[in-house]
Parts: sequence; structure tokens; C-alpha cells
Amino acid sequence: MINSFAGKVLHVNLSAGSFQILSVPESVYAAVLAGKGLEAWYLYRHIPAGADPLGPDNILAFAAGALCGTGAFLTGRWTVACKSPLTGGWGDANCGGVFAPAIKQCGYDAIFISGCSEKPVYLFCDDKKVEIRDAFSYWGMDAVEAEKALHLDLDSACRKKPCIACIGQGGEKLSLISGICNEGGRIAARSGVGAVMGSKKLKAVVLAGMKPMRCANPDAVKALSKELGSKLLKMSMPSGLGFFLGMGGRMMGHLPYLPLDGSLTSLMFKEWGTPANTSLAITSGDGPIKNWGGTPRDARLMPSIFNPEHINKIETAKYHCYSCPLGCGGKLKIKGRPYTTFDETHKPEYETIQAFGALLLNRSLDSIYQINELFNRAGIDTISAGNTIAWAIECYENGILSKNQTDGLELSWGNTEAILALVRKMIAREGFGDYLADGVRKASERFGGKEYAMHIGGQEPGMHDARNDPQLGIHFVAEPAPGKHTVGMGIEYGAMSLCDICSWAPPAKPHSKEEDLEDTETMALISKANACYTMLTDGAGGCYYGQMMGVHMWKLVDYLNAAEGWQYDGDHYMEIGERIQTLRQMFNIRQGFDPASVSLPKRMAGEPPLPSGPLKGISLNNQTQVRSHWRAFGWDPDTGIPLPETMERLGINALLNVEENI
Amino acid sequence: MRKHPVFNYLNCVSCSICAQACPVSALDMKKEGKSGKYRNVFPEPNNRTCTGCGICAKACPMEAITMVEVEEK
Repeated sequence: MINSFAGKVLHVNLSAGSFQILSVPESVYAAVLAGKGLEAWYLYRHIPAGADPLGPDNILAFAAGALCGTGAFLTGRWTVACKSPLTGGWGDANCGGVFAPAIKQCGYDAIFISGCSEKPVYLFCDDKKVEIRDAFSYWGMDAVEAEKALHLDLDSACRKKPCIACIGQGGEKLSLISGICNEGGRIAARSGVGAVMGSKKLKAVVLAGMKPMRCANPDAVKALSKELGSKLLKMSMPSGLGFFLGMGGRMMGHLPYLPLDGSLTSLMFKEWGTPANTSLAITSGDGPIKNWGGTPRDARLMPSIFNPEHINKIETAKYHCYSCPLGCGGKLKIKGRPYTTFDETHKPEYETIQAFGALLLNRSLDSIYQINELFNRAGIDTISAGNTIAWAIECYENGILSKNQTDGLELSWGNTEAILALVRKMIAREGFGDYLADGVRKASERFGGKEYAMHIGGQEPGMHDARNDPQLGIHFVAEPAPGKHTVGMGIEYGAMSLCDICSWAPPAKPHSKEEDLEDTETMALISKANACYTMLTDGAGGCYYGQMMGVHMWKLVDYLNAAEGWQYDGDHYMEIGERIQTLRQMFNIRQGFDPASVSLPKRMAGEPPLPSGPLKGISLNNQTQVRSHWRAFGWDPDTGIPLPETMERLGINALLNVEENI
Repeated sequence: MRKHPVFNYLNCVSCSICAQACPVSALDMKKEGKSGKYRNVFPEPNNRTCTGCGICAKACPMEAITMVEVEEK
């Protein structure tokens, strides 16, 4: 039967210098789709328990989602997965750009890389050959330079222009907070995936295949896309409204929780991209300030400084990932601006602006353009880096770190020059920066100040405060890759209308914020639905901003039925998401990662509560809510281990016995 | 006579599905223009490498590409 899957995966062993092309039985795709689901199935079975994340037994996976290449909009995400060197458990990161369809055009749904090369290499694939090639001349380059150099050397020899994913200095130097880049520094940033690639001495994966990508019913898929694309084409708002975002956030901080329509997200992201959130976040309590310990009073003027209209003024063109009609990205001209040494940069994401703005009390947007480009080129995660520098500043301010230890840097709040100097030191792994390049947990283990180290299970959290959104706090802790902010939020749940595709997902209703602090079955079902839908989206290769549009605008269930020739309902697909999440949890159990050991840092849990601001007086009930979340998943509420009856109900034991064929 | 893609940029959403589908990389996302009030880039065919196969037109969800016959030069 024709569906969207290539039906094959490539496994390259860099130690042996060999590769195998393996067929994946259809039952696997039916159970977990592709993308993160396929990776979970494969990595669980092939990474030995206790494997060294930076050793040859770890497997680095690159996967495209089920809907990639079918004509479905917002399905161009590629997911990297491995055992994370940052947490010791499941690690994944995902990214847009153009790399996802390139995987499928080589004839694979995923590429798995095990072993370690002795010398720098890159992997070249098209639809006819697989070659491990010498990368000596590219080693040492940043990700943007390496991508350009590879294009210069290879384009003329390829019929189709290659797509390239590579690491910068971060991955090469095994920074545990490094990621993997494509399209001039767009980065799959989280979980330390770049360090795993660096440990394999793999500089780049270069894909130049030309195989057509398949789809069961392309006309039906295209009709769904045309409907969505036509809506988005018409959407726009008058310029200049960014000034009001800070005021909007202030109101949101005081209003009860109100479900918003998903189309509002599209409108805002089309107008400003994710920087739309910055001013809102600073004033509403969503965005962390002063290493998660401050209030909007500490960030005075910042809603105006980070007004996204300033960014729009220097945007030369929007940037769209493959299959995206929205275009939340952008290219910025930064030549000649204060602090900048580059001509252009990708529009910084909200996460970067917050992590290097209000989190550090840095008031220079121009310095953030520079930091954004430096880290994009080095392939280092700005979320982790910002949290780590915030820890360093707080330690310095409290006398835990001295000027001698910081290489003479005056690490006070908002010292832009010192922050920039530290960024460069982290990239070069030079002096004090060397210790910071492995994230905040390692740094605090060495220098102390653990109470200021904001990490969850080893990973620094995304720039959204669980005290503002307790639903997010559940995912921060319960997620098999803890600290990720992309698995679920209360505000996102309100926009998605999951109750319209899933019989057990509670409807989103207006309610007081205090209700979200309670441990209720509704809260647990919402967090389960959030996680299941996100895993489904990841299996499909979808974008979280598609999710946020809601099920009536980005019709994931209809897309999957059309692309695969299936006729399943939403409940069936949510169960696929549940299966993927349970497989990832099982990966952690097998690797000895104890889910019950993960908790929010005290400060983030509201212990003690903040004395003022929109988060005043809030203490979370997080550990109890996490246990209810596990119960809703059919996992042991005390240990987080999936129960035997859950494994049976989801068919996971049988699935893990399915073998790929040579 | 051979075929050649002609773009209706008013319907184009810059998703680059056509450019990625092209088996000979004959479409570059480099034509600068506007989509409504937004500055954007759109696909531009390279007449020297385009084989006129029509895969781009078939792939475009927005039906923004039409294959037209042109005289061989």
C-alpha cells in the first residue's frame, strides 16, 4: 500500500566505517509513525543499557516525520535523538529548515549513526550511495562557515543541491549544551545532541538524494494545505501594535485563565515571529527575570526595549522553513549595529531574547543579535547558555564566585560587555568559560551555588515560568527529556481544542489561576493530552506552531488519514502519541535514569514564593501533579515506570520484538 | 516546444515545497518581493537547469505554478 513512509532506515557505524540499509516493517510505522516515534523504537532496542553518551555505543538519530514531503503544511521538522550527555536519559532536539525532506529524498525515514570515527569525517548520502568522507579541512569551522565550504566543494558535483546539518565549535569541543545546525545556523539545540555528534568526530551530514516523496492521497493533502495557506495569506495586522504587547501581558498577569483561539497565535507569529512573546512574557510572569528570582519591576523598560517592532524594522525578509506557509523566522541586517560584528543573523527566537535579556537584566537588544549569531554559528543552545550565565552572575553577586575565578570579568547583572566576553569564552572553552560550556549543573557542582542553578534533571529549562503556568511545570518534570518547554502548556492547551478530536481530553474552560495549582483528574488528563498530541506531532514531523493554531486550522488527523490512506479517529492517533511517550519513558528506565529523582529547583516551584509581581505568593503543587500525570498515563505514580498492563494495552512489548530487515 | 513553470506569486506562501521537490535544484528561493505587507522571498526558476518536468507544479499545494509551453531557443 502506498503511504508516506520511505520504509527504510540507514545505519552507519563510524567505528567500523560501514553501513547497512534496513527495512522497517509497516507495523512499526502504524504504531509510532516516523520522526521521534521511529527513533524511540530504534534507540530503545539498539543503545545498550548504561551506554556512555559520548562513547561509541550511543546512537545519534536524524529523522523526518511521517507527513514530511506529502504536501502537508508545517511538517518540515527534523528530529535528532540520542542518549543525552546532559541528563543521562532520553535526549532529543528538533529543528526546521530544509533537512527533513532531504532525509526522505535519500530514501530513508531516519539515519542512525553509531560508533566513533578516529578522525573528523562527514557523511555523504544521496539516493544511490553512502560515503564516509574526510572532514579534516572543515573541522574547526563554525557551522555557517562549514556549511558554506561544503556547498562550495560539493554543489557542482551533485545534480541536486545538498542539504547539510553540521556542528560548530560547541559540538566539536563536546560542550554538553551544544546542538546541530542547518540553513545558516538554525539549530536543533537541546539535550546536548551536538556533543554526541562531536564525540563521533562527525562534522556534518550531507544529503543530496532525489527520490520522490510519497503520499497515499496527495490531492486530499493539498486541499487541506490550500485551505490553511489561503487563510494565512490573508492574515495580517497593522504595523506598530507591538508597543501594546507589554500592556497585554500586564493584563494577562491579573486576569483568570482564558482559552484563546489558535488563529491569534498565527497572527502574532506571522507579524513578529516568536519575539512577539517577549514583552508579554516580561509583564505577565511567563518570562523568567533575574535568574528566575526577579519580578517585572527588575525589568523596567524592557517591554519597550524588546518590543518586536524594533526587530521588524531591520528584517530584510521573512524566513520560512520547508513546508511552512507562516514564516515566523526572518533574516535581520545587523551590520554596523552596536556590539555586532556580523552582517546578518537569523531573527533571534523569544527564548534567546529572554535568556540573554530579562533573565540577565541585559538591556541591549543589539548585543542579543550578536550573541544569537555567535551561538548559532558555534552550535550552542541559548536556553542552556543563558541559564548558566544567570547562575554565574548570581554567584558572583553573592560572593560565591570571585573576580579571579571569572577571569577578571565583572559579572554583575546587566553587564553587557561581561556577558559578551563570557559567551566568547564559552564557545572557545577558554578559562572560566570552559566550565560553563557544560551547562549549569556541572558548573554548580564545581563551584557551588547549587541553589542558583536552574536545571531540571540536568537540563536548563525553557524561558517560561511554571509558577505562571503550572501545567508547564508538570511537563518540565515528567517529560522524559526534562526541562523542555515544548511538550505542553496551559495556554497552548486552550488554543488547541483537543477535546474536538479526542474523547477523553477535557475542554479548555475559563478558570481562576488558583485552580491550576490543585491536583485534579482534569489537570492530569490535560497534561496527558498535551503530551500525547505533542508526541503525535513529533511523529508526524509537525511544527509546534501548527499545533498552537488548533485542530480546526492545522488538521493533523485529516492530514495523517489522507497521507497514509488510513481512516482513524483522533483517539487512535492520540494513542500513538501515548505509545511514543511511553517508549521514551521506557528508554529512560532501561538506561537507569530515575524519573522520580527529577524535580523543579526550589525557586521555580515557588519555595519561597515571590513577595511581589504577577507571581506573588504562588507555590506549586508540582510533585503531586506529576504523580497524577504518571497515573493518567498508566505509569506507576511513585516511580514513573510504565505498568505492565499499560505496556500490554499499547502493544509495546510486541513492538519491541519487531526486527528491522537487512 | 518545452514546458516552463510560471508562478502566480499572489498565491505563493514561500513554503519552498516546490524548490525542494525539484529534482535538479532549478528553483532558488531568492526572488525578493512582498506578500501583503511582508517582505519575503519566493521561488525563481533557473531556465538553464529547468527540465520542464512539472514536478514543482504538481507539488505546490497553493496551485501557484502553471506549466506553459515555450519555444526552444
